[in-house]
Amino acid sequence: LAAEEPKKPDTMEMPAFADSDDDLENSEEEEIQDSDGDPEDSEDESPDEEEEEMEDSDDEVVVRKPTAALDSGNCTGEDAISSDSDTDEEPPKDMDEGSEDLPEEDAVDEEDLLKEDEDYMEDNDASEDTVGALKWKEDLKKKAAETFLRHQQSVTNLRKLVYGTVVENEDNE
Amino acid sequence: MASQGHCLRYEGCNFFRQRLVLATLSGRPVKILKIRVKDESPGIRDFEASFIRLMDKITNGSRIEINETGTSLYYQPGLLFGGTLDHDCSVQRSIGYYLESLICLAPFMKHPLRITLRGVTNDQIDPSVDTLKATAIPLLKKFGIDGEYFELKIVKRGMPPGGGGEIFFSCPVRKVLRPVQMTDPGKIKRIRGVAYSVRVSPQIGNRIVESARSILNNFLPDIYIYTDHLKGANSGKSPGFGLSLVAETTEGYVISAELASNPQGQGAAILPEDLGKNCAKLLLEEIYRGGCVDSINQSLTLLLMTLGQQDVSKVLLGPLSPYTIEFLRHLRSFFQIMFKIESKTFEERKGADKVLMTCVGVGFSNLSKTIK
Repeated sequence: LAAEEPKKPDTMEMPAFADSDDDLENSEEEEIQDSDGDPEDSEDESPDEEEEEMEDSDDEVVVRKPTAALDSGNCTGEDAISSDSDTDEEPPKDMDEGSEDLPEEDAVDEEDLLKEDEDYMEDNDASEDTVGALKWKEDLKKKAAETFLRHQQSVTNLRKLVYGTVVENEDNE
Repeated sequence: MASQGHCLRYEGCNFFRQRLVLATLSGRPVKILKIRVKDESPGIRDFEASFIRLMDKITNGSRIEINETGTSLYYQPGLLFGGTLDHDCSVQRSIGYYLESLICLAPFMKHPLRITLRGVTNDQIDPSVDTLKATAIPLLKKFGIDGEYFELKIVKRGMPPGGGGEIFFSCPVRKVLRPVQMTDPGKIKRIRGVAYSVRVSPQIGNRIVESARSILNNFLPDIYIYTDHLKGANSGKSPGFGLSLVAETTEGYVISAELASNPQGQGAAILPEDLGKNCAKLLLEEIYRGGCVDSINQSLTLLLMTLGQQDVSKVLLGPLSPYTIEFLRHLRSFFQIMFKIESKTFEERKGADKVLMTCVGVGFSNLSKTIK
């Protein structure tokens, strides 16, 4: 992380996101029509961001990050809850099993994303040959790092993570 | 203790001690189902059975029902009675496993608790008796639990797998706890520690001290690590060695880290030099996490804050441990208390993000004590 921080001030523009309708994205659709579904193009991007983040960061973050990115911070912490309750008092054997199980459950969501990522990686290689117009693809890694740092610095609602949603706190137990 | 709420139900073997301790303090019966139902050997383990026996010893009138397979448990707590007791702990877990819970309960006994525990004093899983002595006891003092009979003494050391250690713990009782304001951790003032060794060369202690100092001396000069080499009857049944380090801050808070050698016949042999260095690094990590209380005592602090008078208590902690997070949830279900949790980031970025926990005590008073 320390290595990535100095880059931060350099980037002027915000990274392209799932919810953004950038001109840059549109231009990409028009010029190379190699991506599978144009309407889905905007959805393709958020997994890309994640993928980049995963490459940068260590294992812990990989487990935590996808959900955080999908529902934009302040996650409900359900994943954190389940993993937490598995860890502490169990003997080491159980702990290993538990931690292996969890990613598998989540894998249903992630599989699709990962497939799309593979496609995307090929696009990226191909697009490097084409000249210009693909500005949003430049410095993806840097942008991802920036997003990651922003997520980390944003104040997470610890109370919500610990107690669940405050309104429905009576039902939770 | 007086009001008996409805029975709480839980599933699984996790957080077993938390549940029984909180049930005892709140006086609410608890039912734990499906304890290791899918395991090859289902039901409660020996160390948990031993813990239940200990709870039975320190209380009066508890009702404990366990089904045939040991997969479900019903516990209706009685009054915390205390007195002079002794207990043989299972060697599967160290005495720290039992002592942690006893420290939570001891201030609320009818008679001051004076208990002798036998078993494993230091292992790799639970906080060792040395560490608890150096951290939990000063912490209790901050809550107004103090007196001339307040002591924790290691009579004999016992390492896993054989055990054979013995400790003595005595704790005065208090009617009410003092609310605390622990918001400024201060800076690290000095580092103390114990390098213990039993049934191995006495030189090992010195080697541990040397290597730990080689790292810590880069940061501050005031380091003193005692070597504690026990022989003969006081050295238990198995060989082993380890190090427990404690950093004290200028505001009088303590932060600890520890490491123990692998039990005889399990895993590769650890060099004393490596152990000393790794333990010193663990201490640095713990200092990085920071706060006024180290991670092993987070839940104890929160419990004592909850049980305080109806006044505001504040404590600054490092990142919450998973155990503490679950403990907070349990505190809510047993005492209907929710903490105010604020993330604090300091501009100078001193270590990891801190958490400021605030609560109003439930006004718990030790009813057993007043009845004469």
